[in-house]
Amino acid sequence: MLDDIEVKRLILRTAAQDAEAFSLLYQRTSPTLMGVAMRITRRREMAEEVLHDAFVKVWNQAKSFDPLALQPVAWLTAIVRNRALDLVSSAEATRVESFDRHDDDENGNALERLLDWSDQSDAGESLDQSRAEHSLRDCLQELKPAERQAIALAYHHGMSHSELAEHLKKPIGTVKSWVRRGLDALRTCMDTCAGLAR
Amino acid sequence: MKFSSHPALDALAAEYVIGTLRGPARRRFERAIAAEPLVATRVTYWQSRMNLKPAGAGAVQPSASVWKRIERDLNLRSLAPPWYARVSLWRNWALAASAALVFVFATQWLRLSDPKSDPNAQLASIAILAGDDAAVRGTTVSALISKDGKRLALRSERAIVAGALRSYELWLLPEGGGAPISLAVLGSLDAEFTVPSQQVGRIARGAKLAVSVEPAGGSKTGAPTGPVILVGAVS
Repeated sequence: MLDDIEVKRLILRTAAQDAEAFSLLYQRTSPTLMGVAMRITRRREMAEEVLHDAFVKVWNQAKSFDPLALQPVAWLTAIVRNRALDLVSSAEATRVESFDRHDDDENGNALERLLDWSDQSDAGESLDQSRAEHSLRDCLQELKPAERQAIALAYHHGMSHSELAEHLKKPIGTVKSWVRRGLDALRTCMDTCAGLAR
Repeated sequence: MKFSSHPALDALAAEYVIGTLRGPARRRFERAIAAEPLVATRVTYWQSRMNLKPAGAGAVQPSASVWKRIERDLNLRSLAPPWYARVSLWRNWALAASAALVFVFATQWLRLSDPKSDPNAQLASIAILAGDDAAVRGTTVSALISKDGKRLALRSERAIVAGALRSYELWLLPEGGGAPISLAVLGSLDAEFTVPSQQVGRIARGAKLAVSVEPAGGSKTGAPTGPVILVGAVS
């Protein structure tokens, strides 16, 4: 599990163009981020391309990292996810059959995986962070199963609307409205949770 | 169109973060994140909410070539400080040098304090010197030599110290009766010193050792000039 405090320190040193810190940051985080990229791209070469592009971006944009706005690992993950999504959009056709081989069943294994993704007992985690995670967990459970699964597949595996439609064997309009309604309900729930927690 | 005033701004931000906003729409939205603070705020909101940290279990080791390409493309090697400016290098060097120094001191100290550790430093008795002069009567002085013949020592039972303006001089009396050869000028008959290199190996059975009293600093003539107070055969 990555230590947010150490990762933050390394990002801040990278922002000062410290090549040694940048190399350490890569050593610490690249296997985890490679895993994130692999789940979205489903192909090793493409995931390595993503990792390369993402770290070039980290080096160039570390100065814009705002430790108050985002957890450092979330910041890195967002960069990797963005790059992975960019690359897979241009190669969607080749991805579809590899999803079919994937063993997520229709009844929401994807959600279990999504929740397993996060380790709750993280020492480096702030109270706000764990509160956000708990409210996300609770709020995902509140969603209708179809909405929850569509969001989990999109987030975890980087599926587009058309990939979701193909994977879930539903019309694209249906999955689009699942995603949109699910996200809407999620925001309402998380805002309420956050309000109650404070 | 400004995304800040888009009625579905929040929904778009959410779909951007979970990744279902794709293609040209995604790129337009990305430009809006950079240009419009309100859009960036909504994206940060969703990023901080949809923040499930990846667990170690899903980790995949990338191949080594990925880092090599990053390093090359960003030209990182040119940014690395020159070797002489690296703090870690000097720190490590200083640590290593200190450790080496401690090691050297420790071994030297052990060697000095424990003569057995160096066989050449062990001294063995080769002669007992004695005489009738009042200064030395009733006491014996032994001569000891190192195994390699390069160090010689005198050990007396009690302190015998040369008087004011006087020195003792130790002579080698070669076998067969050649001229005495000066080995050392001493202030006291309890001393250890290096044998002159030409005499190494000549302090052997058949030769004799003698001590004379000389002016301070030793004989001016190269031969004994004062009374011989001690003499003994090398055995």
